[in-house]
Amino acid sequence: MEVIMVDREKCTQCHTCALWCGIEIGSVAKELNQAIHEEPQPVPRVLVEGNNFPLHCRHCEVAPCIDACPNGSMRRDPKTGLVYVHEPTCIACWMCLMVCPFGIIAPSSSQHVAIKCDRCRNMEYPICVEVCPTNALKLQETRKGLPEGESHYVQYSKGLEGF
Amino acid sequence: MEFVQKKTADSAVESFLLKAAEQGVALVWDRYEGSLPQCGFCETGLNCRDCLQGPCISHPFRDQNKVGVCGKDKDILGVHSFLRLIVHGAMAYFDQLADFAEGVKSGAISPKDKGRSDKVLEDIQALLSNGTAAVMKEFPKGLVDGWKAKGVSPEGIARDLFKVSQKLDGGTSGVKDTLLWAFKAALSGCVAQVLQGRLKLAVFGEGDPEDVEVNLGVLQEGVPTILLCGHFSPILKQGIAEAAKGKKVAVMGVCTDPLIPPYTFAPVTNYGSQEIPIMTGAVDLIVAGDQCVNPSLAELVKQWNVGLVQTEVLNRGGDLKGSARKIVDQAQKAFDSRRKVSKDVPDIKESARIGFSADGLDAKKITEAINKKKIKGLALLAGCNNVKFTQDLEIISLARELLKRDVFCVSEGCASISLAKYGLLNPQNRESSCGKGLSDLLSSLGKDLPPVVDLGSCENGGVTEFLLALGKTPKELPLVACFPEANRTKAVARAAWTVAMGVPTYFWPFLPVTGSPKTTEALGDFCQKVFGAKFNVITEKMEPAEKADLILKNLGRG
Repeated sequence: MEVIMVDREKCTQCHTCALWCGIEIGSVAKELNQAIHEEPQPVPRVLVEGNNFPLHCRHCEVAPCIDACPNGSMRRDPKTGLVYVHEPTCIACWMCLMVCPFGIIAPSSSQHVAIKCDRCRNMEYPICVEVCPTNALKLQETRKGLPEGESHYVQYSKGLEGF
Repeated sequence: MEFVQKKTADSAVESFLLKAAEQGVALVWDRYEGSLPQCGFCETGLNCRDCLQGPCISHPFRDQNKVGVCGKDKDILGVHSFLRLIVHGAMAYFDQLADFAEGVKSGAISPKDKGRSDKVLEDIQALLSNGTAAVMKEFPKGLVDGWKAKGVSPEGIARDLFKVSQKLDGGTSGVKDTLLWAFKAALSGCVAQVLQGRLKLAVFGEGDPEDVEVNLGVLQEGVPTILLCGHFSPILKQGIAEAAKGKKVAVMGVCTDPLIPPYTFAPVTNYGSQEIPIMTGAVDLIVAGDQCVNPSLAELVKQWNVGLVQTEVLNRGGDLKGSARKIVDQAQKAFDSRRKVSKDVPDIKESARIGFSADGLDAKKITEAINKKKIKGLALLAGCNNVKFTQDLEIISLARELLKRDVFCVSEGCASISLAKYGLLNPQNRESSCGKGLSDLLSSLGKDLPPVVDLGSCENGGVTEFLLALGKTPKELPLVACFPEANRTKAVARAAWTVAMGVPTYFWPFLPVTGSPKTTEALGDFCQKVFGAKFNVITEKMEPAEKADLILKNLGRG
């Protein structure tokens, strides 16, 4: 599975990933000058916390959100392994919000559906990785393990060993 | 995040893009692409780094931080972003003025008209100390009274610049109040620009419009060539031209006033492509100021073994004429040492008639043509190039549309050079470029008027003098100002004082204020109420014809 890795040494906490996630994924307009005035305000799927750490969904191998979802709306794409919300059947019970250990799931503006990072699974490339000005974010295949010399990237999908 | 597919409309410049890529030379377009995506917070004015507790942002999206550490919210951040640009821009005019005035006072040049020059120097002193410059009396009384009532009339640099700059430090002023302070700074810049123009007239004498050739084709391969780059003391420029005379040294310019009587400095290119003249190999020495000079030149000159003289240095010495002679010697030496550097001068140039003045244009005929509806109105075209647009394309396309639709267009500074490169300042193209009404008016104003009338460099207040000569407050006339490819902070200050004079202004690209709804609205409706004109910040993508439609629709309606 390809996951987003974070190099904490390179992250400057500039929030560019969150801004562009909000524009490209969260907003209706998909354009900077309109998205920033949209009401309800778009919700970015990535949260930049202290400690130079932009937090996305880590698509956990044993995902509590999938287990907690009462009607199978929280699903894993069998091909990519990515966890996503099947919006038409989501009943907004917020069980996933409660069980997510990282707090990355949020209620949508309409309050009718849970929203979370799906690693831009329908796009060619995750927008946050594309816009990161310092290349602190990187898309990486995990099955093959971390390449030589890149162990400083923190994996999203497999917990935070070495964090 | 937007790539500009076509980099330039100028074929002379385009031929060098491939060469630059082949040689691995990074130009402005490469650096722009390397900086994408640009910071969205900065682009919309939702950021601040005016103190060391930051940098701060106001996040536009849900559940995110909305205010800076000190409490600046998105609206204050937006209006401060505007103010920051204006203060910087207004200071640029004072910098030029102070340099020139100091040179005149030091006796480095004997003014053509000593009495007049002394009077202008006194006026400059008055502007700096308390704002009571006599030139203010030449502005329409209604306009100045309005400014005084709002407190935005110049009161000396202590209040016009120092006090204004400290609005960024803090305080509890709201959006509208802060905006007025910004306009105050801009207006003082306006008066500084007018006075610099007056000083130039007094010192160098009145100059007639000149025929010049423009674009890279003006460079000569066989003679030592000095390129004057950016804005610096016109006395030094004149000195260089004087020293070069009779020595077979060519002196040309880029982003600088091309007319210092009795000398002309052929504009080699304009802002967007100011790196290209070095790549032709035909420039031996660059004399560079600070304003409007890309720092990238410092590296480029090394690659082409071009000499570089900085004019803005700490220990400059007092002898401008001596420095000028040294510069010419240096150019000759550089030429000798550069004989092996291959030359590649494209055979592309265009004739242009530049340097008209308000005195040379019959204002009565112009207002009459407006009253009789022979022309639809007047457009002021200003600004230089911006890498966010195809170089020159926006301004020439808009100008062509406006000319066709009988709008009398005047231009200044780098905008003129853009237009000149495509023949819009060439009198021969008048009939073919202009609508009938405009063409008739231009012929009645003089034999050799080009489609667009250049009112001189951005160092001098030619456009403001022209507005004053029209004899009415600008808001009584169908006037509009357009900055289709603005770039420098000077252009923002320039646009702001044009609004304060009651001329509706259209500005591209959008200013970093769009994150603040209150600032954007105040630049529109509040400015309309206070000054009778809007500062239109446009975020939508528009074709040139659409822009012309928008401008025509609002011409004369504020």
